[in-house]
Amino acid sequence: MRVITKGKIALAAAATAAALVLTGCGGSAGSSSGGNSSATSGELNLIAYSGVWQDQYTAAVIEPFKAKYPDIKINYSSKRSSAEMLSALQGQKNNPATDVAIMDNSVSTTGNTQGLFDKIDPAAVPNLANVPEQFKNKGGFGPVVMLDAVGLLYDTATFPKAPESWDVLWDPAYAGKINVNAPPSLLGLSLTAITSKMEGEDYTKSIDKAVARLKEMAPGVQTFAPNPDEYQNVITGQTVLGLGQNARGQFYSDQSNKKMGVTFPKEGTVYQINTVNVVKDAPNKAAAQTFVDYALSAEAQTAFAKALFYAPSVTNADLPADVKDRVVPTDGSLNIVPLDVEFLSSARDKWTDTWKRQIITK
Amino acid sequence: MTESKLSIVDLTKRYAAGLDPAVDRLNMEVEEGHLVALLGPSGCGKTTTLRMVAGLMDPTAGSIVVDGKEITHTPVNKRGMGMVFQSYALFPHMNVEQNVAFGLQMRQTSKSEQKRRVAGALDMVQLGHLSKRQVKDLSGGQQQRIALARALVVEPTLLLLDEPLSNLDAKLRETMRTEIRSIQQRTRATTLFVTHDQDEALDMADRIAVMNGGLIEQFGSPTDVYERPRTRFVANFIGQANFLNARVLSETGSAAKGETHYRVSIDGLGQFGAVGAPGLTGSTHELVIRPHRLRVSLQPAGTETIAGVIERVNYTGDALSVAVKAGDRVLQSQMPTSSGDLPRTGDAAYLSWNEQDAYLLPTPVKEPAA
Amino acid sequence: MTVTQTEAPAARRAGAAEGELEKSTGRRNRRTYLALLIPGVLGLVVSFVFPLAYMVRMSFNKGAPDGVIEETFTLDTYIQPLTDPYYWRVTLDTFQMGVTVGLLCVLVSYPVALFLARSTSKYRGLLIAVAIAPLLTSAVVRTYGWMVILGTNGLVNSTLDGMGLIDTPLKLTNNMTGVTIGLVEIFMPYAILAMISGFGRLSPQLEEAAGSLGASKLQIFTRVTLPLSLPGILTAFLLVFVLSISTFITPRLLGGGSVQVLATEIYDQTTGLLNWPFAAALSVILLVLFGLIIAVYQRLTKKIGG
Ligand SMILES: Nc1ncnc2c1ncn2[C@@H]1O[C@H](COP(=O)(O)OP(=O)(O)OP(=O)(O)O)[C@@H](O)[C@H]1O
Ligand SMILES: [Mg+2]
Repeated sequence: MRVITKGKIALAAAATAAALVLTGCGGSAGSSSGGNSSATSGELNLIAYSGVWQDQYTAAVIEPFKAKYPDIKINYSSKRSSAEMLSALQGQKNNPATDVAIMDNSVSTTGNTQGLFDKIDPAAVPNLANVPEQFKNKGGFGPVVMLDAVGLLYDTATFPKAPESWDVLWDPAYAGKINVNAPPSLLGLSLTAITSKMEGEDYTKSIDKAVARLKEMAPGVQTFAPNPDEYQNVITGQTVLGLGQNARGQFYSDQSNKKMGVTFPKEGTVYQINTVNVVKDAPNKAAAQTFVDYALSAEAQTAFAKALFYAPSVTNADLPADVKDRVVPTDGSLNIVPLDVEFLSSARDKWTDTWKRQIITK
Repeated sequence: MTESKLSIVDLTKRYAAGLDPAVDRLNMEVEEGHLVALLGPSGCGKTTTLRMVAGLMDPTAGSIVVDGKEITHTPVNKRGMGMVFQSYALFPHMNVEQNVAFGLQMRQTSKSEQKRRVAGALDMVQLGHLSKRQVKDLSGGQQQRIALARALVVEPTLLLLDEPLSNLDAKLRETMRTEIRSIQQRTRATTLFVTHDQDEALDMADRIAVMNGGLIEQFGSPTDVYERPRTRFVANFIGQANFLNARVLSETGSAAKGETHYRVSIDGLGQFGAVGAPGLTGSTHELVIRPHRLRVSLQPAGTETIAGVIERVNYTGDALSVAVKAGDRVLQSQMPTSSGDLPRTGDAAYLSWNEQDAYLLPTPVKEPAA
Repeated sequence: MTVTQTEAPAARRAGAAEGELEKSTGRRNRRTYLALLIPGVLGLVVSFVFPLAYMVRMSFNKGAPDGVIEETFTLDTYIQPLTDPYYWRVTLDTFQMGVTVGLLCVLVSYPVALFLARSTSKYRGLLIAVAIAPLLTSAVVRTYGWMVILGTNGLVNSTLDGMGLIDTPLKLTNNMTGVTIGLVEIFMPYAILAMISGFGRLSPQLEEAAGSLGASKLQIFTRVTLPLSLPGILTAFLLVFVLSISTFITPRLLGGGSVQVLATEIYDQTTGLLNWPFAAALSVILLVLFGLIIAVYQRLTKKIGG
């Protein structure tokens, strides 16, 4: 039995393309050659989230980086989810065209075990020193670059005061006005764990009680796949409650003139953590390290916290009070429901299936 | 006057305001059992007339009366007419039998009655053996007959045929012509038949309505229309004709059917005998002589001849057509091919006719101001 | 006698030579045809046969968590959905959605197609263009349009509310109702086009003939117009059915996660759970479903003589 990855597919596609073109004059085939970049010049291929994340990260981090390193050209490849990034990286495994990936911790862990990423050299990334132990990767791979957590989105007209408990999702008064992203979305996985914990269950063993409880909620859910996204659903009044991430929630709260708010209910929540990773055999490894170092700088971390309310992962980033209040606390003051990466990787398929078969009603 | 089967009164159709009418105050009386041909060049309004009678199109003005009942605004499905379309319009999703039975089904005839009458109609067109055939597997002539059977099986008050033979080849057309005529005579179905083929009209019709530009130029029996055309258009459209301007000098006696013999003078050619409606003396009329009624001889014979020179000879097998130049006119003549010496171009020729074969058109020619 | 005897073989030889000549020109023609086929066939092989073969092969692999694919030969990927009532339900729902959307789409498109096919107006071309103009905007855009129209505070609900007909908003989106409405509208242009081109045997003259034989307007429709437009209707239904069960955007966007059909399932397995072998197996099952319906369609068209 041989283990393959989607690289085969890419190869096949490339072979097909080659057969069609016949000559090799087809554009940018040179990414594999690499080596012509140094720590301060050349190209850098970044893969990361799309949408508002991309906009804000570009403005807060990439533009200043470019100003600092004018000889490095950044190519940003955006994906809707970390799973899609992983899929893309698996496809390039034999011939990487990406240097740096910013993605969800659980997915990057999978990437680490699949050998998609390199370890980070502390010498080449001095700012790694400012990352506390808990946010460093045990195996020396890409560290945490920012943190966020799952929050409860609410319509401020319906709730002048933020709801304090996740229980509000079961309140019949709001039936039909709730949006919940079902697994495999991290939001749905998180809600499963939170509910399980609320029911006094150990979700690493069983989620039966959570499922029973979620089944009660399901008929009142307006959508399990909010479109265009969970935030707009609440802002436009399609729903009044929803699951969302704190960072984007805060951002859209401002954008919508506080029509929507986001809060952390008392029963606790789940972190959403992004790591920054250097791709194994990256074509522009030196530039990649320069970028990772910059991404971990106090300057970049502060700027992005201000822009999109992600909590910094370094100790030396000083946030203004009004920003500090709105990013997820990393000082232990927030009740966190731990969702272990390894566990999640094994539970994701199962929980997704359970939602589809038992919780989501027609 | 006997009650007619169909009267058309001042029937007018204008497709759009501002356009010339396609049919212009048309009047016609059709006797029971007659086959009437609507004959005319393309675009003269034949189809339009037929469709108005059928009820497929509303007239702009005028009325249509069948059996003394005004039906101008009766919907098509209540008129009880049988129509045969140029393209036959057989229902492609039904077999022969179902096609023929359609009209009976619409009339809620009983099943057994349907069966009997469909079989009868199919026998009439001699296609009883094809009753289960799919329509698309029939030849053009067979389709034609089925269409006829389908129209006739309902015993229509009027049978309407729009160029039913024009999609058939020449041979089949002749056969079908005879067949339709004999079926029509057997069923005594009063029939309106659109055609632009004069032979067809002459052969089949009891009456011919010669149409031109939305008007009926002449309505009469085939011999009438052929022998006694009322206008130059009719004379020209039905058969060929020589036209000569003739000043009517005097009456020379009365002829058959209330017509009068005249003495006429043709400029540059002399004086001749002719026949026409009474009261033409003193004015100039067109004299119509059919080519085959114009005799050509190579020797002078008698007094009333026109001397000329043979300009062209066309041999068509059955007949010889000869163009004779007399003065500045060229006259067409036709003669049988077996008549001994064949004339040749350049020969001197002498033309003559029987007095009753030279017909004066009733409307005088406008004299050029003297 | 001798003459004929000596002539016969010569004639035969000449005949043979002629036959050979014919055969060789035939062969040359055939070769030209084959040569002309090459670009198309090559395109088809590259863009269809090859990926399809790859997909079928993929469906026999084994998918491990996190997108790892074990290259092997197993029927597990098929056994799992075929023995799992959940996938039977999803397949049935998919089929049902295809049928419902097909029927409704045909129902609303038929009058339009009939009108366009029979129109003699000089604007007919323009009208047809208008009818299929929605194809110019993407299905995604139109789906978003429907989300706005059908939403809790959307056009429909606010209109009904304004008229005092409802107290609580109707749930028209994030469920099968929304998906059905969206798909019907999105596929209408296809249905209209398919019908117009399938109305070949319909002609105004046949309807006139029926009328002259005593058929009322209704009888003309039921006895002539409808039966003759059946091939067009059937083609449109098939087309819409196939498009519906293979589309994923609209079920995904208007279904709100509650509409689980094969296409969304394949998408989830591919991009969400990265289980490509399983997604491939589901795709093959979907293809088989296509095949079945096309076989039925061919039977039917033969029957109605389309
Ligand atoms: N639907 C219509 N709209 C406008 N004009 C029309 C229409 N149908 C016919 N016409 C015009 O009316 C006139 C008579 O047409 P009709 O079809 O009655 O002629 P027809 O005698 O049957 O000719 P044909 O021998 O070519 O069939 C023609 O000038 C034609 O162009
Ligand atoms: Mg006509």
